[in-house]
Amino acid sequence: MTVIDWGYILAAFPDLMRGLGMTLMVSLLAILFSLLLGLAGCALRVSGIRPLSYAMRGYVEFIRGTPYLVQIFFVFYGLPSLGFTLSIFWSGVLALTIWASAFHIESFRAGLASVGREMHDASASLGLRRLPHALLVVAPIALRSALPSTLNTVVGTIKNSAYLQAIGLVELTFVAVDRIAQDFRSTEMFLSICVIYLVVILGVSALGHRLERRLNRPYGSR
Amino acid sequence: MDGTGAAEQGIAFDRVNKWYGQMHVLQDVTFSVAPGEKIVVCGPSGSGKSTMIRCINRLEEHQAGTIRVGGVEVNDQRRNIEQVRRRVGMVFQNFNLYPHLTILENCTLAQRWVRGTPRAEAEARAMRYLERVRIPDQARKYPGQLSGGQQQRVAIARSLCMEPEIMLFDEPTSALDPELVREVLDTMVSLAEEGMTMICVTHEMGFARQVADRVIFMDRGRIVESAHPDDFFSNPKEERSRLFLSQILH
Repeated sequence: MTVIDWGYILAAFPDLMRGLGMTLMVSLLAILFSLLLGLAGCALRVSGIRPLSYAMRGYVEFIRGTPYLVQIFFVFYGLPSLGFTLSIFWSGVLALTIWASAFHIESFRAGLASVGREMHDASASLGLRRLPHALLVVAPIALRSALPSTLNTVVGTIKNSAYLQAIGLVELTFVAVDRIAQDFRSTEMFLSICVIYLVVILGVSALGHRLERRLNRPYGSR
Repeated sequence: MDGTGAAEQGIAFDRVNKWYGQMHVLQDVTFSVAPGEKIVVCGPSGSGKSTMIRCINRLEEHQAGTIRVGGVEVNDQRRNIEQVRRRVGMVFQNFNLYPHLTILENCTLAQRWVRGTPRAEAEARAMRYLERVRIPDQARKYPGQLSGGQQQRVAIARSLCMEPEIMLFDEPTSALDPELVREVLDTMVSLAEEGMTMICVTHEMGFARQVADRVIFMDRGRIVESAHPDDFFSNPKEERSRLFLSQILH
């Protein structure tokens, strides 16, 4: 019965942009932290030290096997009763980081598995020590295989930040839902935020694909 | 010949033993290689040839007996291992080039990170050795763009860039198409002619006749026969050597 009220979207735009700012901030921090934690977690996972390796396996299974919303509630409502009280913002960053790290651990592990024993032999025979071997040989080769699924998790981190409206973080989805509660313009608002999310994620994907092409360059032109 | 002096300069194995679980893969392996000597190691698959040469630079650990390289014992001491690896270069069956680095970078990585050679100097040395294996024009390409023969020659150059005293070859031509074997063998022959100490696991018997000072024949983890190639090929002493030769020479 109605067409889309473009004027309403225009009026809501500044609010939506403020929400987007929060979405980007929380996501960016979580992406950064989760990549670092994922790397560290993967190192522990493949360290060969049994207790650490099992701890990482347990962590991954736990995060993969429980609903994301429950994890957020656990961080926001559960941790304070254990003595850790965080602001809404940092609860959000933490919950997202915990979630994404588990998936990064698995992606990185798959990447590592793609680096054969031959590379170790080559570096060892040349006298290259462990650290330069890990950084200059293993990491770039592993990253290439890990990149597509890592990109999935990065994009998932941005999308999952929408759940944080459930604990009252004023991010993009919160702004939209809040306005709908007041003005009942659900079509306009959901359409708007869908487009905004899509634009952001297409941008991130484009960056990711550029990196992928760069890493594939040595292999492409056979 | 392999007198006692060899132990201080070259390679000396003394009753080396190794097991994989229950499998006894090296049994009392004893031999020595004097500086400048060229040894070809052959034998049926699973006889322990590769395992044996991989023990020399500690890519594999032996469990009993001693291995000395240039007087340094190969054991779990990191300093010893590093010293030995500085003296010993290795070429592998599957080339083991770094696929994400250019040919030039393959040849400079270890120079820069192991020896701290400045970039310009490392690249100059890399180009010198790439010229020696006759592929300087491929320096900016990636391994995946080269033929197997070219890749193996790059692997040889990469190893030579570290200026080793001893070169190990672990079936360097087994993964190559037949028409590419020659170019790799030629490179190895010229290396031998320049006096490099070499141990080559290979079934290229022409190469063995041409350059080897000795052929070591292994079977089931043991050295069965060790002889000059002329004697080994024309008059093998052991039944197992004879059987093996009859299977590969036709």
